[in-house]
Amino acid sequence: MPGRAWTSGLTRWGVVLIVILITLAPVVWVLSLSFKPPQEWLAYPPTLIPRQPTLENYLVLFWPGNPVGVVSEMVRTAEPVTRAFINSLIIVPISTALSIVIGFLAAYGISRFGAGGNFLPFSVLTTRMFPPIAFAVPLLVYYRSLGLIDTHLGLILMYTTFTLAFSLWMIKGFIDGIPRHIEEAAILDGASRWRVMFTITLPLIRGGLAAAALFVFIMNWTEFLFALIFTSRFAVTLPVQVSRYAGAVGRYYGPQAALGIVASIPVLIAGYLIQRYLVRAFTFGLVK
Amino acid sequence: MHFPVRWSPEWNEERWMGQLLILPMQLLIWFVLIVPMLIVIYLSLVSWQPIMGVDWWQAPFAGLSNYVQALQDQRFLTALGRTMGLVLVAVSLEFLLGLALALFFHQEEFPGKRIVASILLYPMMLPWVVVGLCFYLLFLDKGPVNYILISLFGPDASVQWYQNPLLALMTIALADIWQWTPFMFLVIYSGLGALPPEPVEAAMTLGASRWEIFRYIVFPMLKPVMLIALIIRALEAFKIFDLVYIMTGGGPGTSTESLSLYLYRTGFIYGQLSYAAAMALLVLILIALVARLAVRPLEREL
Repeated sequence: MPGRAWTSGLTRWGVVLIVILITLAPVVWVLSLSFKPPQEWLAYPPTLIPRQPTLENYLVLFWPGNPVGVVSEMVRTAEPVTRAFINSLIIVPISTALSIVIGFLAAYGISRFGAGGNFLPFSVLTTRMFPPIAFAVPLLVYYRSLGLIDTHLGLILMYTTFTLAFSLWMIKGFIDGIPRHIEEAAILDGASRWRVMFTITLPLIRGGLAAAALFVFIMNWTEFLFALIFTSRFAVTLPVQVSRYAGAVGRYYGPQAALGIVASIPVLIAGYLIQRYLVRAFTFGLVK
Repeated sequence: MHFPVRWSPEWNEERWMGQLLILPMQLLIWFVLIVPMLIVIYLSLVSWQPIMGVDWWQAPFAGLSNYVQALQDQRFLTALGRTMGLVLVAVSLEFLLGLALALFFHQEEFPGKRIVASILLYPMMLPWVVVGLCFYLLFLDKGPVNYILISLFGPDASVQWYQNPLLALMTIALADIWQWTPFMFLVIYSGLGALPPEPVEAAMTLGASRWEIFRYIVFPMLKPVMLIALIIRALEAFKIFDLVYIMTGGGPGTSTESLSLYLYRTGFIYGQLSYAAAMALLVLILIALVARLAVRPLEREL
């Protein structure tokens, strides 16, 4: 409805400003906290710009008990987050890649050959419909018998399966968008169907695949419940470490804030890159 | 679903390829979804705890007693009601705010609109635990929210957010609303952008008011998109766990415990896996029923 002015210029800018402020404020506060020395964490009145900015909160995350500063003295006993960081960097990319590869193959089979009928693509959606805790109960029993508790493989299997709904439906949307006659032409020229799939269709949806991969990456990177239940020491991921760090160092808000920022940076970058695919991603391709 | 028979002379080969393509996914679904579902049904019918010393397949049969216990469990029923209330309040507010923002962005032109829109989207990407941490830190006794309250309304205005059940629940709802209003905004805004302009232009020529255009033209056309957004968001909000775990731990007492948190505690902290399995199945049935009802208007629309 263009043309008519809905509000005066001043109100309009007021609305925009308030929206930006509310959206940014919580994270700006935590960002500022992450650069504050201990005496400023709960200082009253609170300071938005740290009076004595410090990097110590970040330093102790990876090197607790390092010889410099007061914070390291406080969190000497805390476990460094390095292991959780590396675990996330192992588990998340592998399960993301698996989810995309398996999702692509299945999406192609469903889109082009109607494999699995109507039932299969919808049954995959149930993994996102029900609370994950309902799956966690039987999986624990199962994983104990198989020795998959607190292993990378255990989490990778879960993360791959529980993001298949996204990769399958997103990629299926992209494949459905490629006209069949392109593939048919190649078949007439004598290419095998496998070859058509990999050398004609796959390159055409490259951008979509990348977007799906980044979205699945975000989903896996931020996953908390399964990681909390199925890991204890060896395979903990970053979100679990965030929650655990709060417990381990008590009221040491500075390092907590720093860890929150560190854990968010990869997903913020990924999210920024796939902005225009987000609607598709979050709605399983139902809204484009 | 159709087999492109004209695509090639031997569709048997295509069928074979199709089956092969979906095989990896089917294996995973069996491994992580279907077999566990069978186990959860079995578990709910026996009486088993990991500390009992017998293996889970030798546990004594318990009939429906776990279900009977669940339906009489005040803590379970309260957590269920609380979670549904939270979903209702948070998702409605997210929807209304998201709709208002989407309409505002759709109608107004101002420089930097694209940048503002993309700033708006970032809360959705953040890990839930980080959002929980942010809001936990904001509502600390000596945190910035209390500081603002005190500077506006005097020294008595400071509130101990986590001591009062209702206020604690409110901080959780606020965190959820902050993180997911952008989702509603995004879906509705892109839905608005995809609407054909002709009906609106025609109505304007005929002298319809802004409200009439919205109520009788834009709203009906947008209904399927809004329904999809509402269903997806409500199902997602019902799972709420991370925020509660980080912000209040279910406290004070058990007064902010969400359903997922109670199930987590029953199964994994108290070790009553059979009982947790029965409750999980009750929840699955409930969600399946609600989802069925929710999808019905959508089927009519599409």
